[in-house]
Amino acid sequence: MNPLLAQSVTQPSVDWHALAPELVMAGTACLVLVADLFLPRNAKWIAMPLSAAGIIGTLAAVVSLINTETTTLAGTFEVDAFSLLFKGLFCVLGLIILAISFHYFRAGSYYQGEYYFLLLCSLFGGLVIASARDLISLFIALELISIPGIVMVALRKGDARANEGALKFFLFSVLSSAVMLYGMSLVYGVTGSTILSEIRTSIGSGDEPLVVLSVFFVVVGFAFKISAVPFHFWAPDTYEGAPSPVAAFLSTASKIGGFVGLLVLMFKAFPEVADTWAPVFAVLAALTMTVGNLIALRQQHVIRLLAYSGIAQSGYILVCLALINPGNPDANEQAFAAAVIYLAIYGIMDLGAFAAAVAFARRGGTYFISDYAGLWQRSPVLALLFGGFLISLAGAPPMAGLIAKLFVFAATIEAEVYWLAIVMGVNTVIAAWYYLALIKKMFFETPELDEPVEVPYLLSAAMGIAAALLVALLVYPPLLTNLADRSIF
Amino acid sequence: MADTYLQVIFWAFFALMAIAGIRVVTTRNVIHAALYLVATLLGAASMYVLLYAEFVAWVQVLVYVGAVVVLMLFGLMLTRAPIGSANFDNNQRLVGAVCAGLLFAVTSFIMVGAFEGQEIDFTGTEGTKVQSIGEAIFSIYVLPFEIVSVLLLAALVGAVVISRRDEGRVDS
Repeated sequence: MNPLLAQSVTQPSVDWHALAPELVMAGTACLVLVADLFLPRNAKWIAMPLSAAGIIGTLAAVVSLINTETTTLAGTFEVDAFSLLFKGLFCVLGLIILAISFHYFRAGSYYQGEYYFLLLCSLFGGLVIASARDLISLFIALELISIPGIVMVALRKGDARANEGALKFFLFSVLSSAVMLYGMSLVYGVTGSTILSEIRTSIGSGDEPLVVLSVFFVVVGFAFKISAVPFHFWAPDTYEGAPSPVAAFLSTASKIGGFVGLLVLMFKAFPEVADTWAPVFAVLAALTMTVGNLIALRQQHVIRLLAYSGIAQSGYILVCLALINPGNPDANEQAFAAAVIYLAIYGIMDLGAFAAAVAFARRGGTYFISDYAGLWQRSPVLALLFGGFLISLAGAPPMAGLIAKLFVFAATIEAEVYWLAIVMGVNTVIAAWYYLALIKKMFFETPELDEPVEVPYLLSAAMGIAAALLVALLVYPPLLTNLADRSIF
Repeated sequence: MADTYLQVIFWAFFALMAIAGIRVVTTRNVIHAALYLVATLLGAASMYVLLYAEFVAWVQVLVYVGAVVVLMLFGLMLTRAPIGSANFDNNQRLVGAVCAGLLFAVTSFIMVGAFEGQEIDFTGTEGTKVQSIGEAIFSIYVLPFEIVSVLLLAALVGAVVISRRDEGRVDS
């Protein structure tokens, strides 16, 4: 026998059931890519129902895993309530994004098959990042979320703004990856491991300058990805240049992916050194909320408005990370649950607002806020839905935005960080100003045009589902809060 | 004796890397910058050799020098980018230099402080075995290994989509 083969490699045990959502999603992506080859030019749209079926299959796999808690692949992949909650969320967001995309991409005769393939790849990255428990998987999953995103932004090749947006996104993404990777390599240098649980036990104290530096680099890398101020410059230009459904994707699923990675890393690997990173997040959160909201006040373009408001919204989630204090485990759990709740609700309501903007702009309409005057008289349902999503983003009933804000406020009070609570309060008022200004335009001004805005069934369904989910969460919050409580690490 | 010998090699390659690294950012010719990058990356490979990591060193040569830089050169040629001496400066040299200098000072200060006086004992080691790297990739790191394939596929499809010339379609 060949002596080289004598020593067999110890194979890690693979729990195929735990990997089922990822396998279905990756399989669907490949299937869509191959099917696209054989579809005639006027039937390329079939890639969309195929993708939807795949995402529903993934969702089924996620549901079949409920109540499972297991790790596989030598501890680098974990299935728990947290990862399942976010996998489910990515599937729901993915379905809504597909519905937003369908007419847009069909009408534009873009690369439909490739678009859906890239979208599925990005969602696959999201599924993986929720379960990844070592630095390398975490990093690669994060790249898998953003790299297809760059290509999707660049799909409108003839448009100069699309090219500019894609280039900015690409450069910032590469730079942030480099910074983050450098930080991760330092973490590996300090601890000698890439597995998060091992890093946690061997990282030592937060007094060591090298630990502080490495954690700082990692946080800065993530701050670029989630477009936190002062690393946000790429986001509005990229969203404006991108096809609007892609902007919706970047603002929700992609950003949530970054936050999931951040939560996993901070709470699985660096909780012992929280006193070094919590103040960094406090500064980032205050800046992100305030600057995002102040710039949003002056926007005339709906997508840019949503981009800046999205930046401001991510400030509230950063607040939850800023509250972490090693001496107060109860408050930490509350802050973690608040971050999870905020992410889930933010994803759905922001996607709803983007869907409404896409629906309005579909037939020669534009994205300028002045065009929204009198929408209530032209298309009452669209105006009601859009208004609902905006009010929800502002943090008021009748949708679940209120719940999200309440939980973050409660966590802040519990952690006794009152200055952040005040900053949040002021920001909620500023944000309400521009959301309400748009709502006033829609409901209380006279329209220049009379004809109603035609909304295709698919888009109506997407908005309807988002609105229904949000109303349900407001009426019966335990739907989400129980899941969030169970997902605490 | 062996120590001084290694020290000389280390400082020689260090000088090569430092000079080439500075030239990468100061030269005005893109092709020259790419070639200086080759020298820097080769210097990094030699550092790996000095650390008894021959396999990593050769991967560095194959992937970075062999593939990445060649790809850059091909990219420059195929896209008909301005190859001659072009001025890409935007009057922010000073800011860039200050930022880079500060970053270098802080990181090197902290690194030296953290690892000062620690020595790696290489006696008896035969370097990293390729076998152990292979085992790590296909046991602990099999998940990232598989995800990278999806990532590369997405990047490949994306590159084709972006670089393809559209036939007779005009974007509004």
